[in-house]
Amino acid sequence: MTREQRWRVCRTQPRRGGNGGRRRRNGAQAPAPAQVVAAVRRVSHALETVLNPETAAWATLVGLTAGEGLRFNRAFLLRLHGERLEGWFGVGPRTREEGAALWHDLRQNGIDPLAGIDHPDAAVIQAEQQRHAPLLAALSCPLEDASCKWQRPLIVRRGHPVACVRHWLAVLGSDNLAVIPIVGAGQLWGVVLADNFINHRPIPPTILEAAATMAHALRAAVERIELLTRLSEEERRRITAEHAAAMLEAARTLAHDLKNPLALAGGLASELAQAVGEGQDDLARTLRAIGAAIRNAESRLEELVASLARGATGTSLTAVDVGEAVARVVAAFEPLAARRGVRLEFQGPEAPLIAAAVPSYLDRCLENLVGNALEALEAAHVSGGCVQVAVESSGDLVAVVVADNGPPLPMTMRMDPFSGGVSTRESGAGLGLASVQRLVHAMQGRVEYDDSLPGWVRFSILLRRWV
Amino acid sequence: MSARLLFIDDEEGLLDLYERAFAREGFRVCRATTLDGGRALLEEGDIDLVVLDIRLAEGSGLTLLHEIKSRWPRLPVVLSTAFARYQDDFSSWLADAYVVKSSDLGELKQTVRACLERAR
Repeated sequence: MTREQRWRVCRTQPRRGGNGGRRRRNGAQAPAPAQVVAAVRRVSHALETVLNPETAAWATLVGLTAGEGLRFNRAFLLRLHGERLEGWFGVGPRTREEGAALWHDLRQNGIDPLAGIDHPDAAVIQAEQQRHAPLLAALSCPLEDASCKWQRPLIVRRGHPVACVRHWLAVLGSDNLAVIPIVGAGQLWGVVLADNFINHRPIPPTILEAAATMAHALRAAVERIELLTRLSEEERRRITAEHAAAMLEAARTLAHDLKNPLALAGGLASELAQAVGEGQDDLARTLRAIGAAIRNAESRLEELVASLARGATGTSLTAVDVGEAVARVVAAFEPLAARRGVRLEFQGPEAPLIAAAVPSYLDRCLENLVGNALEALEAAHVSGGCVQVAVESSGDLVAVVVADNGPPLPMTMRMDPFSGGVSTRESGAGLGLASVQRLVHAMQGRVEYDDSLPGWVRFSILLRRWV
Repeated sequence: MSARLLFIDDEEGLLDLYERAFAREGFRVCRATTLDGGRALLEEGDIDLVVLDIRLAEGSGLTLLHEIKSRWPRLPVVLSTAFARYQDDFSSWLADAYVVKSSDLGELKQTVRACLERAR
């Protein structure tokens, strides 16, 4: 790590050295309101473009601790994982001495930590995370009922009634700790802990509110980043699946177009070798040699085709509880359906139906079909729109049916709805259904379209039962 | 009387080969290059076993396999195809046997005999 990076690791700006340094006049004061607003704006702006959760966490904590920011001596972020609050990131010195030395370096070299958040350095961020790893591990604790109810930031002191707060105070050796709960969708998402353990400066309510604003901007940024990551991963899987399906088709075509003529030529050579009369040994030998050479070519081709097909099916099928998988996707669409005034109904199977499938492929297919149904109902301005999703047994198969009471597909699509290139949407490329078919084929199933029931359009995904 | 085999394949040359090879083994052979042609011969009756290609120019042989098994469940069907991975396709599991096309007709002959034996 370079000398400058070492300075940048410490983002805090303690106002009093641990070795008896004089109290600095500016440092002892809380930041001016204009500086607080500027810091909040700067952090929010930086969070808008961040593409990595750790960078987002680091930028927020730098905003909380920098001299040009909210001037906390140190800050930590804990994130909820299951039933535990896990220490995730920390910024600031670990001791008074470390703070004094680093603050001295920052001053001497005129470094403004807050300026660095627009140009994050991955090595600095990683070093900061590692530097605080033991403390972050020590801060982790089980979630308590009391902490679930936190809505507003608060200042806590020794003797606090909540056990996890007492734990944090003890671990940090803090006597005045800002606890900033981060709440999303009515649930605790994480907690920011910050204090002034070196200069013991009081924490005014305005700073607490500004810190809460930064913390909530962080949550929004991390959720956006995680959504984008998930979508990118889904897209990558879809492309892989489509590539696999294309390779399988290439293997099929290769096998058909080359093996048939080879089988014919070799077979005829063998037949002729058996049919030639006595005294034609040379001819018979030649025909057998031709037959052997062709059989050799056939086995080489067989190996090539098998290798292509193996590459095409890199993802193996697993046992998937289809009712459970479909219920999850339908639940994810419920808010969107409600917003569009569409009734979304799900009819699960009476007993679990297990099919051979790839969970992410099945999710993607359902997302496409349910999403298409909602789009079609909205585009046609159907009042009383309804999408029905059902999972049912169909002999040796498990059927997932997605039906809607929107208009049927355009005539151009009805002959082959899965060919791609034609869409019911003005902006659509019509590749959604083609994608569904490829993914279903990759799961060795099939997909069908049916508009024979007046007023209803149905798509059925048929998957093989898991044996 | 010898068994009557129906070969359905869109490759005329292969049908010639099958006819020559199986006739010499003592079978009666009839042939069709299309699914409809195969259906017509099946309707006439007197077929003891069908050798069916999967990938035909006009469509999938698996469609006809399902029709045959619905109407004549006891009639043996041997799928013969260039692509071994069709065995993984559950639609092909209805067939009595599955043979990958080869210039060596030994496996096909053996399979046909075994299926006829089982059907008796």
